[in-house]
Amino acid sequence: MTGPGAPAAALEIPGQRAGSDFWRRFQRSRNARLGGILVVLVTLVALGGPWLTPYPYEDTDLLAVWAEPSPAHLLGGDALGRDVLSRLIVGARISLLVAVSVLALTLTVGTLAGMVAGYFGGWVDALLMRVADVVFAFPELILAIVVAAMLGPGTRTVIVALAIVWWPGIARLTRSLTLALRTELFVDAAVVSGTRPLTILLRHVLPNVVPPLIVRASIGVGFIVMAEATLSFLGIGVQEPLPTWGGMIRDGLVALRTEPYLALSASAALGLTIVGFNLLGDGLRDLLDPRVRDR
Amino acid sequence: MRAYALRRALGLLPVLLAAVVLTFVANQFVPGDPITTLLSDRSGDTALEARLRAEYGLDRPLWRQFGTYVGGILRGDFGLSFRFASTPVIDVIAPGLLVSPLLAGSALLIGVPLGVALGIFVALRRNSLWDTLVVLLLVAGTSIPNFALAAFLVYLLSVRLGWLPVAGWGTLSQAILPVLLLAIPPIAYVARLSRTYMLEVLQQDYIRTARAKGLSRRLVVYRHALRNTLVPLLTTIGIIFGGLLSGTFVIETLFNIPGLGRMAIQSIFARDYPVTMAIVLLFTFFYAGINLVVDLLYGVIDPRIRLGAGRAGRA
Repeated sequence: MTGPGAPAAALEIPGQRAGSDFWRRFQRSRNARLGGILVVLVTLVALGGPWLTPYPYEDTDLLAVWAEPSPAHLLGGDALGRDVLSRLIVGARISLLVAVSVLALTLTVGTLAGMVAGYFGGWVDALLMRVADVVFAFPELILAIVVAAMLGPGTRTVIVALAIVWWPGIARLTRSLTLALRTELFVDAAVVSGTRPLTILLRHVLPNVVPPLIVRASIGVGFIVMAEATLSFLGIGVQEPLPTWGGMIRDGLVALRTEPYLALSASAALGLTIVGFNLLGDGLRDLLDPRVRDR
Repeated sequence: MRAYALRRALGLLPVLLAAVVLTFVANQFVPGDPITTLLSDRSGDTALEARLRAEYGLDRPLWRQFGTYVGGILRGDFGLSFRFASTPVIDVIAPGLLVSPLLAGSALLIGVPLGVALGIFVALRRNSLWDTLVVLLLVAGTSIPNFALAAFLVYLLSVRLGWLPVAGWGTLSQAILPVLLLAIPPIAYVARLSRTYMLEVLQQDYIRTARAKGLSRRLVVYRHALRNTLVPLLTTIGIIFGGLLSGTFVIETLFNIPGLGRMAIQSIFARDYPVTMAIVLLFTFFYAGINLVVDLLYGVIDPRIRLGAGRAGRA
């Protein structure tokens, strides 16, 4: 997606900071830029949430039941007369909160497990890979549904269920990166000079697995937001009165014939957010993955 | 080849066993006591309670229950439903048994050829406005969940234009929207992949050779490049099918289609966990079976696979 990027790379001035080169490439990719803009917008809305909403998200108003969009309620009201725009804004906060929590969990567990398995090998490695195989044997969403059914619906359930589905992928990626790093000269040097394995992992291996993991995580946010919305749509995710885009779409679809604003605006918010994260993720991958860089 | 097939099939066993264990454990640890729920207003009736516990096998030690569970599954018996007293799970799910595979299968049959055609179309117009636009649409198609797309499509096609029914099941026109919505992710996914593969294949030496010996561009694309684009696509059929099976949960709930997906979700709310777990188990077996078939086909087409290491697996 970088287009005619090859000559510029060849003319690179020695000593120039890598960061500015990255930024130039990023700006040249139309889709990545669009994704970046969408992600920044959603993030700002999510961060500013409570200060941006025109009404408290849980306030009901009999006069606003299924209200048409108007200056008072820019996107209308829902079945209980709650302001749709306010709920959309808080919904952004909840979507991203779930996504960040799942990422934090999976990146910690997955990276640690992957590094240990890749570095030490042996039964730890074998065990980890079998567990990953089992998780991969289920269609992702179906496994998340089973976990959600076991734990009972709620925000914590969604986070745990998605983390369980997602960490083996991170662990596998980290493992393969660690396997490759183990044969590097600087790791050998550390071993020979008597560095403890834990220090080697944290100081020499970890910094080198982080960039690919960032790419992986940025692609993953879109998936996590989608999965959370799906669980909430099915009613086994985040529960009322907390607003979620998935739940709002479910409530809105019932009334689609007469009151389409709720379903359509929530669908648009969800769709734009996911597309934004995926465009940004794809863009980052193209920029950071040397194999596709100059194509 | 036979050894490879056997090895692959045996490799499935631990996975299937894990699925059986997981659903059994899930049934044990779900919230609420099923017998109390079944008794509801007759909760003081200890004789009935004891009879029900015995009938459901819940009075026996856990390991015996597990043995019964595994033995039952081997005979196609998934135990008794918690919602419909004394009714076998298999009788509860039987009416919807073919609906979900039918939906998923139709979406696959429509999605893959359309996706390949679209992918090749844009690959041959690389970096044009068409390419940028279609790639953007494909990102949207693979990532936006189908219930969000459904809101727009149902509003446009059913509510505004009145072309198609809003929901229901039984007639062909009622099946169009669900199948279309299910097919969108595979179309977009296959198109993105075949665009990438096609671009890769077109850079190969044998393509240049074919062009150099004077074959027309059309012949080179469809005779030489297309074939080599299709082979790696085959491995993704399994992943696509997994997505479609999950998709039926959403689409059936959305369109009120009496298939297994909707039943699995309804059963969670009705605390009829044996039904949910039986459906999860069936879907997992089905998914594993499809992946096995894909692996075997791939082994037939590409001998390197069955001689060397296994395929790379899900990215």
